[in-house]
Amino acid sequence: MLTNNIKLAWHFYKQEYHHAHQRLLRWTQGVLLLFIVTLSQSSESIQNYLDKNLQGLLGADAVLSQQQTLSSAQFSKVSSLTNNVVMTQQIKATLTHNGQWQQAKIKAVDKQYPLQGELLTSRKLQGPSQQTLGGPALGEIWLDARLFASLSLNIGDQLLVANSLFLVSRVLQHEPDRLMEGHSVDMRAMINILDMKALGFSSDLINYRYLIAASTKQINSLIRWQQKNLPAAQIQHKQGDHPLALFWQRTENFIGLASIILFFMAAIAIEQLTQVHMKKDQYFTAICMSLGASSFAGIQVSCFKWIINLVLLLPVVILLSTGFHWLIVSWLNSAFVDLLWQWNYRPILKSIGAVVVLFAVFHTPVWFSLHGCAVTKLFNGENKGLSHWFTKISSIFVLSGVAITYSDNGLLTLMMVVAITTTIVLMILMSWITLTLGEKFTQNFSGLVPFTLFMMKQRIVSKSTQIIGVGLCTFLLLFTLMLLKDLGSTMASYQRQHDGNVMVSQATVPQLAFIENLAKQQGVTIRQAKPYMHAKLVAVNKQALAEFSQKPSESLATFARAIRLHWNESMPENNKLVDGHYWQGKEQPDSQNWQQISVEQEVMTDLGLVIGDSLTFVIDQQSFTFAISASHAFKPGAGSITFWVQMPTAALTHIQAPRYSMASLELAPQQWRLLAELWQKFPTLRMISLTEMTAIFDSILAMITQLISGFSFIIISLTCVVILASINALESKEKKKNSIIMSFGFSRSTCFRLNVIEWLVTASIAAMGAIVGTYLAGLLIYQSQFSLTYKADFIWLIATLFIILLLVTALGVYASRNNLRSSVRQLMSET
Amino acid sequence: MSSYIELKNISQSFQLNESTVTLFNDLNLSIFQGESYAITGPSGAGKSSLLMLISGLEKPTAGQVAYVKAEQRKTLDFLRADIGFIFQQFHLLPELTALNNVALPLKLRGDKQAINKALVWLDKVGLSQRKNHKPSELSGGEQQRVAIARALVFEPNFIFADEPTGNLDQKSATEIADILFACCQENNSGLVVVTHSAVLAQRAQHTFLLADGSLMDCSMAEAHNKQESNEMFRV
Ligand SMILES: Nc1ncnc2c1ncn2[C@@H]1O[C@H](COP(=O)(O)OP(=O)(O)OP(=O)(O)O)[C@@H](O)[C@H]1O
Ligand SMILES: [Mg+2]
Repeated sequence: MLTNNIKLAWHFYKQEYHHAHQRLLRWTQGVLLLFIVTLSQSSESIQNYLDKNLQGLLGADAVLSQQQTLSSAQFSKVSSLTNNVVMTQQIKATLTHNGQWQQAKIKAVDKQYPLQGELLTSRKLQGPSQQTLGGPALGEIWLDARLFASLSLNIGDQLLVANSLFLVSRVLQHEPDRLMEGHSVDMRAMINILDMKALGFSSDLINYRYLIAASTKQINSLIRWQQKNLPAAQIQHKQGDHPLALFWQRTENFIGLASIILFFMAAIAIEQLTQVHMKKDQYFTAICMSLGASSFAGIQVSCFKWIINLVLLLPVVILLSTGFHWLIVSWLNSAFVDLLWQWNYRPILKSIGAVVVLFAVFHTPVWFSLHGCAVTKLFNGENKGLSHWFTKISSIFVLSGVAITYSDNGLLTLMMVVAITTTIVLMILMSWITLTLGEKFTQNFSGLVPFTLFMMKQRIVSKSTQIIGVGLCTFLLLFTLMLLKDLGSTMASYQRQHDGNVMVSQATVPQLAFIENLAKQQGVTIRQAKPYMHAKLVAVNKQALAEFSQKPSESLATFARAIRLHWNESMPENNKLVDGHYWQGKEQPDSQNWQQISVEQEVMTDLGLVIGDSLTFVIDQQSFTFAISASHAFKPGAGSITFWVQMPTAALTHIQAPRYSMASLELAPQQWRLLAELWQKFPTLRMISLTEMTAIFDSILAMITQLISGFSFIIISLTCVVILASINALESKEKKKNSIIMSFGFSRSTCFRLNVIEWLVTASIAAMGAIVGTYLAGLLIYQSQFSLTYKADFIWLIATLFIILLLVTALGVYASRNNLRSSVRQLMSET
Repeated sequence: MSSYIELKNISQSFQLNESTVTLFNDLNLSIFQGESYAITGPSGAGKSSLLMLISGLEKPTAGQVAYVKAEQRKTLDFLRADIGFIFQQFHLLPELTALNNVALPLKLRGDKQAINKALVWLDKVGLSQRKNHKPSELSGGEQQRVAIARALVFEPNFIFADEPTGNLDQKSATEIADILFACCQENNSGLVVVTHSAVLAQRAQHTFLLADGSLMDCSMAEAHNKQESNEMFRV
């Protein structure tokens, strides 16, 4: 009986193999499986890579720092909460050599350092850097190149630190945990942690930093523990507000989102196609039943046929996806040498499992409908409205469940599901309302539009399925494009390209003059030089800062110290005005109105400031109050030196305080020796080389940009598949409709025009749904998943939508041209 | 003045795999508004093809065709708006109710009275009780009645029916034939029926047999027979 049914299924499978509906289903299933499997494979590889590299860039998953050492009980608690802990200690101390002295930040590490990433050192000043495991041996010290220059040192010299002699043995090139320490321009030195003990510094001068390897979950529990037990300690972690951490999180979420979107697209495509398939299967079962088989046998055969189809499809898909995965990895390999191709079993199984469940979910209605159905009813076909919607809604539920299990980010998926469900409900409502009202109001007009509305209203069930399919695709596409654009511009703002490879963070007026002079002589390019003075924010609206804002934020943390207050005549090139007026009353020179200030937009949001608020700063022991008259934001492309707070130049006449400059220089490789000269002349000049940091960063950015564009491309192609599938689902119906219209004495061009109008109506309803869906998804997802403030750019949205619409209509009309190749003649011969 | 369709010396042939299939040669036929015609013949003889030529939806390989309306000769393109079709498979739109199916051609023409006129026609075919039923809820005969109402609702000058009773049992076939002929007569439409059914063919004023590439006017023979018999009767 069973083998018999399997044989029968095999027989029908072979028989149907070349039928259009089977071929289309096979192709769509194959393409979807291929996309999803390849993507999950590649994104697994890329995520592993990024994980490793960003860890390398950050040096740890989290850093706990405080002024005291952890007690052994605390240390073992931290160790038990996390995977690995490495202690480092830091102190600012003066190094002396041959009567010269220099203050530097000394870091003490042990054999376990570094925790993640690469510690790079070299044996010679200009020598090649090598990866180094473990810190300096007892009695040795490693110094950065600037210290060598400022103390005129050589490898092998003896150096005095707090009355102890150290052997200078290596040049310190790169410490992986530097970025987590924030923007510091101190000169750097490294010693063994046991020497630190021997040096006997007073322990309150030492900053204890514990580098921690931990999962996100562990980090969260660590933070909870720290808040309760060590409130004075600070934790920085990669999920935190560090720009790189943010960037990493965004990328991870984007990849996650893309796979969820692909998953739903796949669902839509399969759903549209299954409509065709359902009819064929019902028909086939009806034949079986009319030949005396039970409906159960019909279901069995249908199941087996479905399974055979998948089983035969899977090897092909796995083979092809492996090939594609290999291609993608080798393509990325040109930029990232250590990205390796490897089988990732878990994602393969997971994605295949999820997609197979998805296919099954949409096939269940077929099996359901076969169960206990009379032959005549099967031949009549045509699902009735209520059960139609019931199956649709239950499939959405099952699908959401599968998607949530499939994705690692449950919250993100849930948000997407909410947005999608709302959009679906909205589009159903809108289809119904638009078509009903449209039909009502145009009843008394003649023309093709009222007729189209009438026809669409009459065929609302099948039409709204199509509208939903197209609408969801447009929504997902629009959202992807919007996110791509916004992420792109945020990432571009990180990009330090063409921004110099040496950053001078604090130069006094004579120092800057010297640099400018040197630059002129040596042909060094000064990219930017911007003046500032130190100012400490003390009050907002006459209220002490601490009272004004309790919400912890990066901004608030920064305002705890003095910030750099920049002045200018007009908006800097790398800023744009977000709100307010940049320097009101600038027309009158020497304006009385100098107490104006412009605050960076994110700072405004973080602190909850509005235009018109007053800020009180202490500048060189004097207090000044400014009113916020504008808000600005960073605009990429014109250099990275930007200031959170800016005032008009007119204020300078009223404020007496030391003035400094920030500058960025572009040095050619042979000009690097100039730096030593500079440091020798001005040991206090704060200057940092950015080459290495920017190089890694830029290459990762470039890859991410490519990656995200690649995802979007796949989503676009899938959109086309879905639209084609939805057209194909209705093809026979459309053909018949066109033939019938022609039998009323209308020409093919009338049918064509009807077709165009119908697609325009379909596209417009889908478009409205897409706009609302995108808006909603933006509202839900932007802040929580990408830490982006969501500001719907409606002009951009509508413009993009308009283009998408045109393309959808064009694609729809083009793809349905087949439906126009109908004739009255076909109605005669059709049985 | 009633209009008519004129086919003179028309031939139809198809190029099939480098061989030419000729359906018919030098065929002459005129279809007058208000009269009924039946075309019979073996399967594959080209009856449906001939119907397409008469209706002007396809062009013959040779010969002249014309549509004479109000004593003006026009091409068959002008016929388009004046014709209606009825099919063996009914071809109603499954999503539309009977009423909306009938109203469809009028809606397309922008007739504001579409629904009212459709109601009148549904009544004429005896289905006003079933106006809100979908085709799947109607029997074959009922569906064909809806199709007849739909073909006639915009009062075309000519109706073409290809095997209108081919899918129906004897009883429904008779009913449909009654309704079809009655409605066409009432509407003063010309009716061309292609059929295998001798019973149906007999009801037409003119009967043709299409076989072996030529068209025989059986009604002439029949009329002749009738005349003869009459004469005989008189004798
Ligand atoms: N476009 C075409 N190209 C080639 N052959 C055609 C074409 N249209 C019709 N034929 C052929 O012409 C012949 C006549 O077809 P037609 O449908 O007119 O026959 P029919 O008399 O209506 O038959 P039936 O009674 O079975 O409906 C058939 O053999 C058909 O295959
Ligand atoms: Mg035929």
